[in-house]
Amino acid sequence: MTPPLKIENLTVRANRCTILSQVSLALRPGDFVGIIGPNGAGKTTLLRAVLGLCEATSGDVHLDGRALGRLSARERAALVAWLPQQALSSEALLVLELVVAARFRFRESHAESKTAAMRILEEVGAGSWSHRRLGELSGGERQRIAIAALLAQEAPLLLLDEPANHLDPRRQIEIYRLIGALRRSGKSIVCVTHDVNLLRHAVDPPGEDLRVVGMSAGRTLFDTALSHSGLHEKLTDLYRIPFHRVDTEAGSFLVPAPGPGEPAR
Amino acid sequence: MTMRRPWILLFVVGFLVASPFIGPSLDGTRGDFVFWSLRLPRVLLGFLVGGTLSLVGAAFQTLFNNPLAAPSTIGTSAGATLGAVVALIWAGSDTVVGLPLVSLSAFAGACLVTLLVAALASSGRAQVHQILLAGIAISLAASAISSGLRYTTDLNTLAQSVLWSLGHLATINYGTVGVVLPFVVLVVVVFFTQIRAFEALSVDADRARSQGVDVRFVRALTLGVGSLGVGASVAACGPIAFVGLIVPHIVRLAFGASQRILIPLSFVIGGAFLVLCDVVARTAFSGREFPVGIVTAGLGAPAMIWLISRAGRR
Repeated sequence: MTPPLKIENLTVRANRCTILSQVSLALRPGDFVGIIGPNGAGKTTLLRAVLGLCEATSGDVHLDGRALGRLSARERAALVAWLPQQALSSEALLVLELVVAARFRFRESHAESKTAAMRILEEVGAGSWSHRRLGELSGGERQRIAIAALLAQEAPLLLLDEPANHLDPRRQIEIYRLIGALRRSGKSIVCVTHDVNLLRHAVDPPGEDLRVVGMSAGRTLFDTALSHSGLHEKLTDLYRIPFHRVDTEAGSFLVPAPGPGEPAR
Repeated sequence: MTMRRPWILLFVVGFLVASPFIGPSLDGTRGDFVFWSLRLPRVLLGFLVGGTLSLVGAAFQTLFNNPLAAPSTIGTSAGATLGAVVALIWAGSDTVVGLPLVSLSAFAGACLVTLLVAALASSGRAQVHQILLAGIAISLAASAISSGLRYTTDLNTLAQSVLWSLGHLATINYGTVGVVLPFVVLVVVVFFTQIRAFEALSVDADRARSQGVDVRFVRALTLGVGSLGVGASVAACGPIAFVGLIVPHIVRLAFGASQRILIPLSFVIGGAFLVLCDVVARTAFSGREFPVGIVTAGLGAPAMIWLISRAGRR
């Protein structure tokens, strides 16, 4: 099967500063890749490069076997959809209008767009908010609308940038469960996050697994399974602070904590 | 909201039909002439020009995602004024193929300045607010050159150019309407076909690109076609202040931010607004015409302030 996303030796430079250096990554259909790494590691730039929002200095990006540079904006939108890190801020727009706008790539009537948008809002449990203004919704509700807009594009590959940003713990878990359900419905997913523990909530049943790719200073350092027993050691190297593995009844969690030789503050 | 819309449209259409009858009595031998040859073309042109300025303003505000974007702020009006001043000084009232050189030169000035801004926008390197700032800078530069030229000229040309820059609908005939109409049709057709792109762009430009909008193309097209429309409008009536900036906001505050409402209603209400201002301009001071550009600002600004204070209370 053609990989939904294949990145080969991607390098991005801007203002003489190398943001990505020789990054390679390939997804199989239905793959879930969590990308973690410190601020400034190049995670967001990697997603933007896949969308053609920033230009690659060298290297190749293929979406569904087709070179990114040869796709029109509409063709690209049919293959990949993006949930940016910044929350939606068009306060005056109606929720339904916002989701309708995300269906730009379809050559369909406004009525058809509206029907599809309504169906998708119901799917993410936001059907009753369709005629409310974005400004009237809470952060968690807005993120649900952003995910509805993401799904409205009906692309097989989803790029998510910190999907649980600024949400309370319960909303964070809800969003990751929703993302897990999307993967099981057949989407391929790349998800940038700081919190590797949140990725667990996207895994259900627990036997299921996902890939964790660690990035630092524009390079990929590791590509391993979330269930890998030595992941906390890799995180220690990645963030340069000690990580410990804490096993609980609900599963094992990786927590940063000062270790021996690290002064407690 | 939805219930109110048909009534407002009906009211607008009713006002437009009634507007040529407003004013001194049409009885007597000159009545027919005044109605058919003076007032009707004036109402037609006022509607087309007001509609175009306001429609282009609405599209620019969406395009730049900025409430201050309008033909007057990105340099179109200043470019047109510069063109008109240059023609008034060096060519006076000459005509080329039946069209006044002042209008042709104003048209060229409007298009040139907007094309400069459009070139910046489509290069793709500049950020949206930088494009807008560049437009303001170009606008100020064009105004400075116009003022410099006026300063060096004689009093008569100075008076003419100041009068021109206040905006006027008085010296209109069907010929002017015929020249402006194709540009208005172009703007309306192109902008209406871009409504889906405007909807995506109104959320944010990067999201729109990821959703399949060719943002560079839409920007260049909107700026290019918009400058033709505004250029033609300004060439016919002078730079009319406030319509392009304020009417889209009035529509947004009264009917919501949806592009599907904003784009068509900006045209209709902008057109009706300028006709209303022109009725005031020609009837309020009996026997004496008042420049319509002063009336648009005089009526538009208080209406805007009232709507903002109401929106704040909601």
